[in-house]
Order: sequence, then structure tokens, then C-alpha cells
Amino acid sequence: MRAYSRATAWALLSPWVLAFAVFGLYPFAFSLGASLTDYSPIRAGATRFVGLANYAQACTSREFWNALANTGWFVLGSIPFTTLAALGLALAVQPSFRGRTPFRVGFFLPSVVSVVVLSLVFKGLYAPGGSLDALLGALHLPAPAWLQDPRTALPAIMAMDVWSASGYYMIIFLAGLESIPRDLYDAARLDGAGAWARLTTITLPLLRPTLAFVLVVNTIRSLQIFAEVFVMTRGGPLGRTTTVVYYLYEQAFSRFHLGYASAVAWLLFAISLLLAVVQMRAVNAREQAVR
Amino acid sequence: MSAAFEPVRIEAPPPPWGRSLRRWLWLGPLLFTMLLPFAWMIALSLAPHAGNSFSKALRGPWDLSQYRALFAGTNVGRYLLNSAIVATLVVACNVATAAMAGWVLGRRRVPAERFWTLGVVATLMVPKQALMIPLYLVMARLHLIDTYASLVLPFAVDAFGIFLVRQFVTQLPIELEEAARVDGATDWGIFRKIILPLLQPVLAVVAIQSFLANWNSFLFPLVFVDSDRLRTLPVGLALLSQTEHSVDWGFLMAGSTLASLPVLAVFVVFQRRILSGLLAGADK
Repeated sequence: MRAYSRATAWALLSPWVLAFAVFGLYPFAFSLGASLTDYSPIRAGATRFVGLANYAQACTSREFWNALANTGWFVLGSIPFTTLAALGLALAVQPSFRGRTPFRVGFFLPSVVSVVVLSLVFKGLYAPGGSLDALLGALHLPAPAWLQDPRTALPAIMAMDVWSASGYYMIIFLAGLESIPRDLYDAARLDGAGAWARLTTITLPLLRPTLAFVLVVNTIRSLQIFAEVFVMTRGGPLGRTTTVVYYLYEQAFSRFHLGYASAVAWLLFAISLLLAVVQMRAVNAREQAVR
Repeated sequence: MSAAFEPVRIEAPPPPWGRSLRRWLWLGPLLFTMLLPFAWMIALSLAPHAGNSFSKALRGPWDLSQYRALFAGTNVGRYLLNSAIVATLVVACNVATAAMAGWVLGRRRVPAERFWTLGVVATLMVPKQALMIPLYLVMARLHLIDTYASLVLPFAVDAFGIFLVRQFVTQLPIELEEAARVDGATDWGIFRKIILPLLQPVLAVVAIQSFLANWNSFLFPLVFVDSDRLRTLPVGLALLSQTEHSVDWGFLMAGSTLASLPVLAVFVVFQRRILSGLLAGADK
């Protein structure tokens, strides 16, 4: 028997179909077209077809490479720390102990708060003469100018990201840990395996799919870093915190180079996809090698 | 998959207090340190004349004067209202469309079901930010830039919600629907009286996730809206921090606390559902 009539099915599905077409497929196709033109709403004259000129311009633009390099440093510099911290936290709050829930909830807390709020708080903490300087001063350590120093601005934003994202990925690792069969540990214990041996021979190998998921999701997210930069540094000092999405935003909405910005968006999309595939492959290959 | 919506598995009796205590001894200070920035935020918002000194702020005196100044001197009341309106509309639309499309796709009795499901999964994979400029162009073409519609419509139907409901529906027995049909129920009656009540747990997850995401959303409201009277709270706050108030820390922290209270309340009340929803997402 049918669950519903065909007309009902279409009626129920239509909002999704419509949204998918108007806000999914259409912009996708439209921006591919726009990336081949010199479209700009503030320039006089008709929009011209320019072929791949926008892509060529991006590939030879020092600003674009700078943004790409900053984003690359952000990804390479923050993800290892976030992943290790998240894994450590997950291992710490996974075993059953009294009062465990408040810890799980507490570590996750930064993930539910707006990035704008987190960025404002850290901007205040990093501010000259702020609490971080006071703390470092009390420890007789030199205090850099954090967000105002071209050398420390990007690492300062990365540190905030590690702090705020670790709890989120902790929860993902927890999901992975919960799915490992308990009897494996019992068997290992009977065989006399210590805590370290159980971690390296059971937990870590079986967490590999979760690790892949965490790496891919965090990489894609980190390639999109924007609000932090907008609130804390506006891309400065000296362009040292201009990420790709911030560059995209400036090109599109400060300079109105929408055709060019569409091309940059497509490049970013291609890079995200490529990295995701490479990471999946790498983790899977290692999994095969282990077996 | 359905297990993810059940309460977290209760394990064997909790270990003795001694072992728990040892764990608190090193996890406690860690958690305390991690949450210090929030203490800083709240303390500064309550202590006028503290500048950005935590120690001064902790010494007080505390009052709500910075909150009052915020409401009197800026449009933050309007931003709060906008955020509430937009979040309510988006959550309502998300829950309704997720239930509708999720049921249809979960029962797999619609032409080209595979294509639509694939579309849902593909949408999940594409980072929304990469669509910023394309979406902006579409909104401009539809003359929707700088309207409430631009803050609601593109986010009214969310692939994540549909996917969750679809997975949930595939685990539901179809017999109830068939029995109702034999009794002469209409499609609409079955949807309303049988499906919606059964979907309640998963729809709660959809509602909470969509609220959190929308309340904190920044890039799209920043790009889609120009006029001050349509700004949502995160955008208003970010732009306020780049005016003459840029080092007015107590003032900005009052706004930040205000922006965080609703999500914190939702989180504390629904933390179990939020965490289980995330675990469900990680499962796919």
C-alpha cells in the first residue's frame, strides 16, 4: 500500500525542491557564469564575457596568494592542536565518573556562543594593557602586541580558534569512542594490556574513521574563517590576517568586483573539495595499511 | 541511527567517589581556565569604570548601568527583536519543511527519490560560505537584498534537518500509516495525527540546531542587509565594535552577554538533545 498519494508527495516535497533550485542549483550555475564575466554593479557599461581572465587574475594576484597563504597557515597551525585537544578532552570525559556531564557540557560551551561574541571577548583579552598582558606581566614574561603585531596577529586568532573549537570536536570523538565495543577492552585487559597499550592498539586504530571526519570537517570550516577576522583585525596588520573568505568579502562588497569574486569563490570551493578528498584518501590508505 | 535519539546509554554503576575526585582535580582547573573568558565577559559587562581590567571588574561595584546605556544609546533593542523574529521564522520553516520532506524521502515512494536525497546530501557537503557571492547575486536579482526575506528564505529549508528526519522515518514502522489508511484517513490526516507526533524527538533536535545556527549566523546577515533597522544582533554588535565604542569594553561585553544569554539558556535546558543531535550528525 502507498504511504501517500503522488500529489501529496509532491506537495510535501515542493518547499525543498523549490529551495534547492532557487538557493542551491541556480546560484551554483549562475556564479559559474558570473565568474567568466567582469560583472560589477557599480561600473558603467554592459557586462562583458572575459573567459578565464578572472581565474588568471586570481592566480597571479599577490593579494590572493597572501590570503591563501594566511588561510593555509591557519589550517596547518590550528588543526593539529584542535584535534589533539579534542581527542584528549574526549578521552578524559569518556570513562564513567561521578559528575561527568558538567564537564562534557562545559568544554562544549564555547561552541554554542556566537563567533562575534567570542571574537569580541578575545579582542578585549588581547588588547594592550588588557588581562592577558597583566597575567604575563605578573609572570615576568614579555607581552607582545598580539593583534597589532604582524607576527602574532594570526597565531592569536588561531589560539582562539583552538580554544573555541576543541569542545565541538570532543563531542564528535566521544561519538566515535562510544561506538567501540566494550568487550575489546575487557579482552585486552584479560591479556594483560595496560592503559597505554589499550589506547594504541584498540582506541586509536578504531577511531580512524572519526579522525577522518574531524579532519575533513575542521579543514573545510577553517578554510571559511571570516567573522573572527572581521571583528578582531579587519584583515590587518599589513594584510597578515586576511583569509580567503575575508579577501572574497572585500573584493565583492567593498570593491564590488563580483565577477572576480565569483572566480575566487570557485577556486576556494575547488580547494576545499580537493583537500577533503586527499584527507579521506590518506586516512583510508593508512587504515588499509594497518590491516 | 535511531539509537542516537535515545538518551545517552547508562553504563554500569558509577565508580567510587575516590576515582571521580581524582579526575575532578585535574579536569576542574582545566574547565575553569577554559571558561574564564566568559567570566571576564560577564564581569566586565556588570562593572562600569573597570575598562578592560578583570581584577577591577571583579572588585565591583556591579550594576546594570552598561546594559541600560546600551539600550538607550544604540539600536540594540531593535537588533534583538530582529534576531528573535528571524530565528523564530527560520526555526518554524525548518521544522515544517524537514518534517514534510523528511517523511516523503524516508518512505521512498516519490518519483526520483534517489535524486532528491542525493541533492540533500550534496547540499550538506557544500560549505554555505562558498555560496556567499552566488546567493548574493540571486538575492539581488530577486530584489530581496535588505529585506527580512533575505534573512529567512535562503535558510528556511535546511538539508541537515531533512536528512535527520529522513533517517528517522526509515526506522519507523509503516503499519500505523497503513492501518490509518484502511480506516479512511486522508494523507493530511496521517501526516498531522500520526507522523508529526512520532517525529517529535527528531524535530526537537532540528529546532534546537537550527535555532543555534541561525541566532549566531553572521556572514549572510552582514552581506544581505544594509539598513540598521534590519540588522541582527551579531551583525549589529560587530559593527558597533567598529564605531567610537571600539574600546568601550564594558559596553561591548554587555551586548555580548545579551547575545549569548538566549543560546546559553537553550543549551543548558536542551544540552542532552543538542549533544545527541551532534552525535547523530557525526554518525552519518
